[in-house]
Parts: sequence; C-alpha cells; structure tokens
Amino acid sequence: MKMQFDNFQQLWDMAGHGPFVWTSVLVSLVMMIWLIVRPLADRKAALQDVARDIARTAQAKENLKGDS
Amino acid sequence: MSSKTDWTWFHRLGSPRWFYETTGRWLPWLGLLTLLLLGTGLVWGLGFAPQDAKQGNSFRIIYIHVPASFLALAGYYLMAIAGAVGLIWRMKLSFMVMKAAAPIGAALTFLALFTGAVWGKPTWGTYWVWDARVTSMLILLFLYLGVLALQYAFHSQEAGNKASAILALVGTVNIPIIYKSVDWWYTLHQPATIKFTSAPSMHPDMFQPLLVMILGFYCFYAVALFLHTRAEILRRERKSSWVRELAIKEAGL
Repeated sequence: MKMQFDNFQQLWDMAGHGPFVWTSVLVSLVMMIWLIVRPLADRKAALQDVARDIARTAQAKENLKGDS
Repeated sequence: MSSKTDWTWFHRLGSPRWFYETTGRWLPWLGLLTLLLLGTGLVWGLGFAPQDAKQGNSFRIIYIHVPASFLALAGYYLMAIAGAVGLIWRMKLSFMVMKAAAPIGAALTFLALFTGAVWGKPTWGTYWVWDARVTSMLILLFLYLGVLALQYAFHSQEAGNKASAILALVGTVNIPIIYKSVDWWYTLHQPATIKFTSAPSMHPDMFQPLLVMILGFYCFYAVALFLHTRAEILRRERKSSWVRELAIKEAGL
C-alpha cells in the first residue's frame, strides 16, 4: 500500500477529478455533521423548555403564597 | 423452570427511559468508533487506494456513494419495521424510532443521489439521467420526506404515527425495485459491486477501504438514530417525572 499522490497539490487536483471528489466529500461532511448537531441542539432545547416550565410553576406558587 | 416465556426484556425495550439511559452510556464509545472508522476509511480510500484504470480518480467518490446508498436502503427497512412494530404492539418508542429514521434516511438518500450526480459528470458525461436506479432512488427520497411530512400533518400525534407507518410500509415495495433495477432494466448504472453470493468484482486494495467506510457508516447511522430518538423521547415524555428530574439536574435549579 502506498500513497498515490506525491504532494498536497496532486491530492487536491487528483489529475483533474479533484473538484468532483472534494465537492462530494465536503457536502457529505456538512450533511453528516448536521445530522449530529441538530438532534443535540433539539435535546438541549427540550430539556430547557421543561426546566423553564418548572421554574415558572414554582414562581406562580410562590406568588400565590404571597397574595394570601 | 418457568413455563411462561419471559417477556420483560421486550417491555423494557419499549421503555423510552430505558432506551434513553442505555444509549446514553453507549454513545461516547460508538461515536469514537465511528470517527476512527470514517477517518481511516476516508484517508485510505482518497489517498492510498489505487486509482481506477477506466474512471481515474473520480472513482474515489464511491467511498461515500456506496456506503450512503447502503444505509439509505437499510434505514428504510428499519423505519418500516419500526412503524410495523408500533402499529401491531402499540409501542410508543417504536414510533419515535420511526420518526427519527426519516430525516437521517432522507439525508443519506440525498447524499447517494448527489455524490452519484457529481461522479456521473466526469464518468457518464452528465449529472443526471432518468435511469431506473437513479429514478427509484429519487422515489426513495420522496418516501422518506413523505413519512416525515405526515408526522406534522395531523393534530394528534397518534394519527400522524399511524399515517407515517402505513406510508413507510407501503413504500417498502420500492426497495426490491431499487436493488433489482440494474438487472431488470438496461441502465446506465453499473451492477452491484458487492454481492453476498460471490466475491466482490473489485481489487482487494480498493475493496478493503470501502469495507471500512461501510462499517463506519453503519456506526454513524446508529449514532445519528440514537441522537434523534433521544431528542424525540424528551419532547414526547416532557410531562414524565424522570424527564423533569433530568431537566432540573441539567439546568442546575
């Protein structure tokens, strides 16, 4: 097994096929990162929603106590 | 010896909380394995595999195209089976897995089509042909998007789940058509490189990195599916005490 390209320029150029190969790689990476980042953000948002809800309920209870 | 079959594992499997906690323990390791496999496969395939005698370097796109297509198809089976399990046993978690599989499958199908188009330009001389394989993959993309859209088309979650599951099941008809399209019709798309019944029609130096990439994509799929399902579990179970406790712990209230 040996490296097929002598330098980075050759690897980038891939004898003319570089634009096709690297476009595929780049779009795939963007898509795959999105598939990981989006659910992580959703998870965080869902937990924050619940926490906000709990805080609001606690506050409301506190206010009621103050009124009576 | 107990005369009844022990079904507790099945019920545990259906528990969203159990799923959330178990996958939470697996995810770091699975993520690491995914990174290692994809990193190795990509460097190997792009830099070290010999170039194709006819296609030159453009053939290196298969290191993404083939695994993405594999998982786009396997993911459809998974989604349809999850839908069927949900319909038959009314398992909540199963519908959540079905919903989680839809955007991942759509993204992978898009990748298969996109990388195929980009590969087609230098190889076939065109980005797009209405070839049997390519067209049936486009239908697969629409099926995934349809399952996803139906989730949001109803006021009741239950109606959405049922509609999605039925569409997913009906759509499985398309899967054997995709597999067989290269044999049934005269297509521009080449026949399968990897078959279960015979040795791959590919030199081992080219095939080994492809195998690593396929394994990497399987692991990636599992990670993405777990993450999407976990987010969905928290959304749907937000009233339950364990999610409330988790939210309090994470917010530091």
